Amino acid sequence: MTDLAQNTLDGLFLGSSYALLALGFTLIFGVLRRVNLSFGPAVMFGCYAATWVHLNFGAGLVLLAIVTVLGSILAGAYVERLCFAPHRGGSAIAAMVASFALWMQFEELATIALPRHVYDFPPLHGGAPLAFGALTLRVESLVMLLAAVLVCAFLWWILYRTRFGVAVRAVIDQPQAAQLAGISVPRIFMLTFALASAIGGLAGFLIASSHEQVTPMLGMWSTMKGLLAMMLGGLGSLPGAVLGGLALGLLEAHSQWFFGPQTRDLIAYALLFILLAARVPWMTTRSAS
Amino acid sequence: MDDYAIGVLTNVGLISFLALSAYLLLIAGEMSFGQQAFFGVGAYAGGMLTAMYGWPLPLAALCAMALGALAQFLVGLPTLRLRGLYFAMATLAAAEMARILFELFHFQRQLEGEPVGPDGTQGFRGIRWVFEHGVEPLGYLGIVYALLALALAAFLLVERSRLGATLRGVGEDPELAASLGVDVNRVKLGVAAAAGALAALGGVLYAHHNTYIEPRNFDIMLGVHSLAYALIGGLGTALGPLVGVALDIGALEGSRVFHGYRMIVFGGLVALLLIWRPRGLLDERAVLWLKRRFS
Amino acid sequence: MSLLRVRDVVTAYGKIEALKGVSLEVAQGSITCLLGPNGAGKTTLMMSIAGILKPRKGAILFGGEDIAGRAPHSIVAKGVALVPENRLVFPSMTVLENLNAGAYQRSDRNAIADDVERMFARFPRLKERAAQQAGTLSGGEQQMLAVARALMSRPKLLLMDEPSLGLAPLVVEEIFRIVTELHKDGTSIFLVEQNAHMALKVAQHFYLMEQGKVSFSGTPGALAEDEVIRRAYLGSSKT
Repeated sequence: MTDLAQNTLDGLFLGSSYALLALGFTLIFGVLRRVNLSFGPAVMFGCYAATWVHLNFGAGLVLLAIVTVLGSILAGAYVERLCFAPHRGGSAIAAMVASFALWMQFEELATIALPRHVYDFPPLHGGAPLAFGALTLRVESLVMLLAAVLVCAFLWWILYRTRFGVAVRAVIDQPQAAQLAGISVPRIFMLTFALASAIGGLAGFLIASSHEQVTPMLGMWSTMKGLLAMMLGGLGSLPGAVLGGLALGLLEAHSQWFFGPQTRDLIAYALLFILLAARVPWMTTRSAS
Repeated sequence: MDDYAIGVLTNVGLISFLALSAYLLLIAGEMSFGQQAFFGVGAYAGGMLTAMYGWPLPLAALCAMALGALAQFLVGLPTLRLRGLYFAMATLAAAEMARILFELFHFQRQLEGEPVGPDGTQGFRGIRWVFEHGVEPLGYLGIVYALLALALAAFLLVERSRLGATLRGVGEDPELAASLGVDVNRVKLGVAAAAGALAALGGVLYAHHNTYIEPRNFDIMLGVHSLAYALIGGLGTALGPLVGVALDIGALEGSRVFHGYRMIVFGGLVALLLIWRPRGLLDERAVLWLKRRFS
Repeated sequence: MSLLRVRDVVTAYGKIEALKGVSLEVAQGSITCLLGPNGAGKTTLMMSIAGILKPRKGAILFGGEDIAGRAPHSIVAKGVALVPENRLVFPSMTVLENLNAGAYQRSDRNAIADDVERMFARFPRLKERAAQQAGTLSGGEQQMLAVARALMSRPKLLLMDEPSLGLAPLVVEEIFRIVTELHKDGTSIFLVEQNAHMALKVAQHFYLMEQGKVSFSGTPGALAEDEVIRRAYLGSSKT
């Protein structure tokens, strides 16, 4: 029983990190109608930038978080300018393959700048995990969950209480009418990208300090988890991204307990495949152009 | 020609099968992130048949192709009705499942006191049929390219025929094709089976060239790479994917000029190229222009 | 004095020229209307003026400045607003949010709020449905919303593409009553219509467009109405 509770708790925390990644993916997909395969790599770029700062200057956590977020935004802007702005209104496949090409660039850049396979990343809380009765909680996990909640609230506020949010929702709803209402769609694309990258950067920082390390695989890992969570929750839906992320986290935590890490991944992919093949309505309503 | 050059050229040929397989599906309007799974199916099946059961390579290759076709057909059955990105994600999920299944697959036979066969994440070593039958690297290169030439000839024949026009029609505007009486789903399933066979053939040849394969070889990177090769080479002709492969593996990696930062160069080139030519170097317009100039 | 001058505009989709050199004028303070059969290029012209499509040749002079090929949002900034064919409301946003979206470029929050009240006064049914999602409104209500949204940017020139399309006759009458009211309040209006009868009742000047070119320009009454209606629906017999 305690195992079940512990796994559920762990799953929620894990799911929070997936939810954050999925939110970034979904923002980009919802607004631009494109999948950004460089999303994870841009987050990794931010983490690596922070790692570099940490190695050379021994900076504090707050500064590292800022560097991660700014690094991700910078990398995201590079991707947006090169892969998405030129293909706006054009080929979705070309944009996606271009984003994959930049993924390759980021990975190689990471291995050149920081050649070792693994680098330490400072944890948020150096001490022992907290105990609640029979359950253990790591401080990082709590922060992750809190971050996810705060980001959701923040996003809600932006989308429903600001002028920028009205523009974003207008572009999501009906891009042509948005143009006619005087909204500059290219500018909204750019700003949405920056917002998504920032969220990804925050997720990356928390993930890196949670794992206490960074590796070049972080890029692929983030992309896969973010994509998987986004698809599970229903492509293009922000609440879906959060639910998908949490669901994936819970699924993984429990599968790993019963079956081990490989089967855990197998189950997640199998679930996605089955849901897609069955053409479950919430998953197949939004269109990718 | 030195061994290194032969190796590079052989690699180009092997990956070309994979790129052609992705290209075929792209033409029919489907973007697949999963062709590497069928490449893997071919590699494992072909390797097992020759290394564990002593089958001759040609027979093993044919069998592997059939398996690849069947596998892709089965994956396609529930998924080909999905549009664009959903189909792509389904292929991604299927391919990752395949890779994990390779990791969990342990099946060995004792041959002359040694265990032979796939050993999960440890891989599958000893696929030595080619060496045991005295085929030199140059000879193998010839075999790979002869088969590739056959595949290309088939492609070029189809492209000139009504079937080719039907395929492109289905890819560009499935509703229109359907209204003209084309059974779009059957066409797509047929294309899927052909793509699976093609990828599997590449896989068999790959396994016998490397003599050792492991699940990590067939990961998402390989799949997206082959999709990228097809797109940047150009969707106007079957030669397009080959151009894409040759550019990356041949020119960039082979030349060792950009050693250490080849991906940065290639990645940048690809992104820029796609801005200039969203449908690749040898896109439909370029092919039309070339045809007119040389006829 | 002409507020809008379209001069020899050519707009194409790939190799197909939808506008083959269109020239027309909208006088300041007038209701000018554009009639013509389906496929004549009327919507293409509206989209070209609004900036959604980029003309290949020609000029679009608004208040003397050439706006051809500019981005749609900068054309809105100049004072041109288009009520598109098919209304294109923001379906998942409320009526109120749709109106606020129309005022996106404005920063005068109090004046925007006043304008919203004014829209609700002019379109009482929108006021009733202020918190409702726009996608759930009826066709007529969506048309009013689309018009109100366009008006929120306080345009000098209002473009309307087939506002009566698919609406019941009573609703159509209401739409045209609003057009007349807007005109009285000083907005210049350029109106594309299939309903030639209603359009001619309100317009000061009209154009006929056929196959990508303007085929007739004049005041209502210059042509016998049944001749106009025939050409608006069927095109003229000369090919």
